[in-house]
Amino acid sequence: MENSTNVLLEINHMCKGFDGLDVIRDISLSVKKGEVVSIIGPSGSGKSTLLRCATMLERMEGGELIYLGKKAVWEENGKCVYAGKAELREIRKNFGLVFQNFNLFPHYSVMKNIMDAPVCVDGISKSEARIRAEKLLEQLGLSDKADAYPCQLSGGQQQRVSIARALALQPNILFFDEPTSALDPELTGEVLKVIRQLAKEHMTMIIVTHEMQFAKELSDRIIFMDQGVIVEQGTPEEVFSSDKERVRDFTQKFQA
Amino acid sequence: MSVGTMLLQLGKGMISTTEIFFLTLLFSLPLGLFISFGRMSKNGLLRGISKFYISIMRGTPLMLQLLVVYFAPYYLFGLNLRGYRFPAIILAFSINYAAYFAEIYRGGIESMPIGQYEAARVLGYSKTQTFMKIILPQVIKRIMPSVTNETITLVKDTSLAFVLAHAEMFTLAKQIAAKETSMMPLMAAGIFYYIFNFAVAFSMERIEKALNYYR
Repeated sequence: MENSTNVLLEINHMCKGFDGLDVIRDISLSVKKGEVVSIIGPSGSGKSTLLRCATMLERMEGGELIYLGKKAVWEENGKCVYAGKAELREIRKNFGLVFQNFNLFPHYSVMKNIMDAPVCVDGISKSEARIRAEKLLEQLGLSDKADAYPCQLSGGQQQRVSIARALALQPNILFFDEPTSALDPELTGEVLKVIRQLAKEHMTMIIVTHEMQFAKELSDRIIFMDQGVIVEQGTPEEVFSSDKERVRDFTQKFQA
Repeated sequence: MSVGTMLLQLGKGMISTTEIFFLTLLFSLPLGLFISFGRMSKNGLLRGISKFYISIMRGTPLMLQLLVVYFAPYYLFGLNLRGYRFPAIILAFSINYAAYFAEIYRGGIESMPIGQYEAARVLGYSKTQTFMKIILPQVIKRIMPSVTNETITLVKDTSLAFVLAHAEMFTLAKQIAAKETSMMPLMAAGIFYYIFNFAVAFSMERIEKALNYYR
């Protein structure tokens, strides 16, 4: 019983295709509070699509999606049904998403990027939102950038701002869609540092990444995907010493 | 006729031209936005109607549209409207310019990266909030150069109101020139249009610069 209440996200038999091509084939997955789950695998394996379906940016075609016991998507007569608008709005509050290319709002200052959604969506007061944003900026080492605009920041700084923007809504789960793929190694480091810090604070995170070393040291669980299915999952040790050929092929390329 | 009286008469026309200009912008800018929504609508019928509307407005002479808008109530419905001349001019200019603005808006809106919509959606913004707070401000920045172009054309197009014998700048200049057999009034009108457009270009540039605080 206690176990089940700790499950924040449950995906059952998720399916998704594009133009008749199956990209996600019957994927089931559950994530518990405080868990850090990394999803790795070759390009085109469906990792990002899985994330986009889970965050409802993409419509799934089969299966169930459940956040904290509340069904966002389920099947009726073989078709996917989404919950009502108001319910989905509530359900969306459970998660945040950090994009590969940040997607900050360029016409807003850093402060406004972080404050605006809490004020306009959650309806908290401006002064409270500002305090919250200042705290986050301090945590992420960006206090001096509050009044800057995104175009004045480095990629690493922009990604940290976008993490702060997601955190400002105080989500239960934070998704990362290849958060460092648009960054050079130096800038990658500063973003990974922030994610490590969040892991220490027991933030529940699901991270699609190509940073193997990082996934290995940080994750409670690694999921290896290929061709729309989960080929292997387990602790980093288990996955990196998998005897499945496809997994070994892939992970060995990253073992220095 | 002295130059002074001539300029005084032209001055009245100037006021009228300026009125047409500002009223047309006032109505056509928002109307264009709604037409662009129709043009991009998921509803096929609405899309079709908007497309047809834009094609007619862009495909026929504005001068003809002025005549149709002015005379249609009488010839089609037998209505004898008093004081309809000026409203007809504003109506014709507004519906014509709205079509051009609609296409400019559409270009701007469709050029927005999808990531902006996705970020807003994940953050919980409603569709209206996303458009008003995130998309529109950025679209305005993007379309400023095209809007400036269109606005400058409008200044000159106001002279077409002469077909309805409305006493705007150009109509008066032509009348005075004919009566006095002099080029002067037409030259003065030309200078006026040029100065007007110079001011328009200057103001638009200022707005563009003000929006340059981000990329």
